[in-house]
Amino acid sequence: MQQRRTRHHATWATRPAWATRPAWATRPAWVLAACLAMTGCGGSNAGDTGTETVKIGFVGSLSGTYQDVGQEMRDGFQLYLDTHGGRFGGRKVDLVVADEGNGAATALPAATRLVKDEHVAALAGIVASGSYLAISALAAEHKIPLIGSNGRPDTENSDWLWTTSFRSPDPGTAIAPYIKEHVDGPVWAIGPDYKGGYDQVGGFVDTYTKLGGKLANPGGKPTWTPFPATPNYLPYLSQIAKSDAKAVYAFFGGENAIGFVTQYKQSDARNLPLYGAFLTEGPVLQAQGPAAEGIWNVLNYSPDLDNAANRTFIAEWSTRHTDRSPTTYAMAAYDAAAVLDKAIARISGKVTPVKINEAIGQLGQIDSPRGSWQFSPRNHTPIQHWYLRVVRRDGTQLANRVVQDLATIGA
Amino acid sequence: MGPLNALDAYLIPVIDGVAYGLLLFTLAAPLTLVFGAGGVLNLAHGSLYALGAYAAALISDGSWTSLALAAAAGTFAGAAGGGLLSAALMPVTGRGHLAQALLTFGVALVAGAALVLAFGPDNLRPTVPAGLDTTVSLAGHRYPAYRLAFIAIAAALAAGGWLVLARSRAGARLRAMVDDPHMLACLGTNPRTVLAAVLTVGGALAGLTGVLGAPIIGPGPGTADTVLLLSLVIVVVGGLGSVGGAVAAAVGVGQVQSLGVVLAPTWTPYLLFAAMALALLVRRQPLPTGGHA
Amino acid sequence: MSRSWRAVLRRGSGLPAPVWGLATTAALATAGCLADPYTLSTWTRILSLGLLALSVAVLAGTAGLPSLGQVAPYAVGAYTTAILARHGITAGPVQLAAAAAAAAVFCLPIGIAVSRTRGITFLMATLAVGELTAVAAGQWTTVTGGTDGLAGIPATQPWWGTAPILEDQAVYGYAVAVAVAVTAVLWWTLRTPAGLLLQGCRDDETRMRASGHPVARYLVAAYVGAGAIAGIGGALLVTGQRYVSPGDVGFEVSALVLLAVTIGGGRSLGGALAAVALVALVRDWAAATVPGRGPLLLGALFIAAVYVHPKGMVGLGRRRRQHPPVEVEVPSS
Repeated sequence: MQQRRTRHHATWATRPAWATRPAWATRPAWVLAACLAMTGCGGSNAGDTGTETVKIGFVGSLSGTYQDVGQEMRDGFQLYLDTHGGRFGGRKVDLVVADEGNGAATALPAATRLVKDEHVAALAGIVASGSYLAISALAAEHKIPLIGSNGRPDTENSDWLWTTSFRSPDPGTAIAPYIKEHVDGPVWAIGPDYKGGYDQVGGFVDTYTKLGGKLANPGGKPTWTPFPATPNYLPYLSQIAKSDAKAVYAFFGGENAIGFVTQYKQSDARNLPLYGAFLTEGPVLQAQGPAAEGIWNVLNYSPDLDNAANRTFIAEWSTRHTDRSPTTYAMAAYDAAAVLDKAIARISGKVTPVKINEAIGQLGQIDSPRGSWQFSPRNHTPIQHWYLRVVRRDGTQLANRVVQDLATIGA
Repeated sequence: MGPLNALDAYLIPVIDGVAYGLLLFTLAAPLTLVFGAGGVLNLAHGSLYALGAYAAALISDGSWTSLALAAAAGTFAGAAGGGLLSAALMPVTGRGHLAQALLTFGVALVAGAALVLAFGPDNLRPTVPAGLDTTVSLAGHRYPAYRLAFIAIAAALAAGGWLVLARSRAGARLRAMVDDPHMLACLGTNPRTVLAAVLTVGGALAGLTGVLGAPIIGPGPGTADTVLLLSLVIVVVGGLGSVGGAVAAAVGVGQVQSLGVVLAPTWTPYLLFAAMALALLVRRQPLPTGGHA
Repeated sequence: MSRSWRAVLRRGSGLPAPVWGLATTAALATAGCLADPYTLSTWTRILSLGLLALSVAVLAGTAGLPSLGQVAPYAVGAYTTAILARHGITAGPVQLAAAAAAAAVFCLPIGIAVSRTRGITFLMATLAVGELTAVAAGQWTTVTGGTDGLAGIPATQPWWGTAPILEDQAVYGYAVAVAVAVTAVLWWTLRTPAGLLLQGCRDDETRMRASGHPVARYLVAAYVGAGAIAGIGGALLVTGQRYVSPGDVGFEVSALVLLAVTIGGGRSLGGALAAVALVALVRDWAAATVPGRGPLLLGALFIAAVYVHPKGMVGLGRRRRQHPPVEVEVPSS
């Protein structure tokens, strides 16, 4: 052992014979110069948002951990565009797609290119709320409307910012009264340890405690699990089982939602009712399997909603994606396209970012697969219905089924 | 009542910590083997695991036959991956760990993209046979049966590995190469052949671990990173290439991540890497010996 | 074609370093006058990463300590700058000095701890430092803005009393000036006896100790100095994008920069800068043409670099050994 370790150190600590020459003066400087030349030539054609074509930028996670959500959003946006002749408000759309990657560190360069090089008239997409925050400053500075379709942080000034999905605290706020009414005793709140988790679970905790509810967590503070990955939930679950909790409220997505739900049903806590937001939404449900059956969850959309817009949406979606039904992510991106379409249709003459932004503000009620909704005048997020859903077996497949309306929320 | 209750409160986290630690050991074992015996820091380790995990998600449909089939397919895919990796690494031998890191990190990035192209961006899970997809009672608490089975298999793998290493001729060669490759070469065994064998066996083991671990850490775009980072911590805390050290490290990290959740909830996000930093800094180090290894 | 290219290289590599430095500076300055805003904002980010790469190159190449954790002082510099700016302190020199000082102070205790390790152990200890710093940046919500990061950071003034720089061209000019100054100072420092002592520690630590040199103190000094450079890089990041989040200072950035320095040959400052530019351009610029395929392109670049540019790796890899572990000629009978 000793000998082995010594050898590895020797690998680093000894020297090659030629290393005495100062090495600054080598060929890499040429590479640097070549790189400069390359990007220098890759210039741009100045903004041509003429009446004929309007250039729209879409930023979503197409690589990295969240690409399932990014892909859904891209599919939803593309679906609207394809089913409307590739036009928004009669103008041909030139859609430029960029990769958000794992978050702001890759999203900001990607959005910068869309703004400064492609000169897009509006930005859409965006999975992570950190990316949204980073890009919001860019959009405001260049006076380009930003229409996000997923995570939305609170912002001081929302003049150029729009969101077609939800404010992070809204789902928890919507379901808290229902849980207060139906659970006899304290509730354990748990979520992932990042800003989105704090906001989501915080929305529930604030409303629930305001209504006189009590948290079963020690010290009355929600439990946070390591983000992005918590491979083992059993220690948390046995802690929950030992408490006096009568139910659990959880917010998780992706791999964490699969891990939490499958391990929940294998733990001492398995008989406690489980309420959640996003917990069983999308492809995670089939991966969770039978463990997901009976989970109550709150969302602004469900594929089984009975309204004309949703019937059209589902019919169009299923001709393109036979293997899965659309998620709320796809629906929110579909609506972002609808918002742009309806806004651009109101513009006479040349389409400019400023005119698009003004037109979005005048849209009023928007007909959508989730039911009708509108932007709140204050922070430009949806005032919309929230639904209570439960996971039921539907033949061989599991599906989220709407049980009832919960509340109409928005601020 | 009081002390008994307190004991009970920590009993399940401790048991779970041991079980989870053994799981971590199995994740890290191939990385330890390849580093200890081959001197290769394989950053594509997580991708080999993901390969096995995808095989499980595709093939295992709830029957025992399909699970066996998935295990065979995952092992084979992992072995093939390891073999390819050893071929790719041949021109880099002797160029040090950073060149290996560059190559294997590049392979991991390409493999990650290829796996998503092949299997889609969703996180998947295999269906396990009903006999394993249940819970058993342990000291009055529920525990997933699958994890217990996984631990049994992991223990069997570890024991088998020890037997081969300590008792067989091939194991003797391997130990010889770790101690003195020069002498091994003089005796007529090409160290390159041994390296290729080590990477292939390590790949097979990683693939098999992926199949068996898929119900717990399933395949998806983030799997390779999660597994690599956890394995790296185990291997480093365990003393870089020492199998016994890795077992101890894995059980220790298992405790940190389960008992730590109960005892120090606010420090949970820091615990893993704090443990790693502490283990590295506390361990006594031989002074570098310059050119006289 | 390729032969004449090589001939130019061979002649070019004979030129003294200051000539190359001046030529590169001139090329950067010219590009600043000609290129479009997007290109300039990309290059501002590359210059910030370039300083991070220099800090890694000093440790890995000159002192023989490969670090996966230089993002930690980079983060300290970036968040220091961001917090100063949000409190109205936007003068560039103050931000740069504060970023460098904060990063150096941060590095002193850590340097004392990690400089006892070498090789892979150093690599992993610094990885832990980097990860813990990124976790802290995500956790300390009141100061760092948490995982969402800090946005809306006021623009930097290049000098006291001047107007804040908002245009991409001005920001780029500021970044070039800072990066060139830091590189020149570093290059000069490495040529002084201090630099030679560090090389001595790398090349034969036993002999250095035997001749009475306090090797540990030299290495701590190198770690602190490299940290200050990374801190300045962090300040440039914030001036450039006026946003900072834990993702900017995470493992991904660490790995990319260390691998870029490896591609660049480890010992060469110019090589480190050129390679980090190449890696960042592939990630941010080339990958934009095929959205979602960035990691694939980067992976291909890393693999290609191993085979196409093998000499680049030699600086860090090949060591004089008496018992090479694998590369052994099997005696014919």
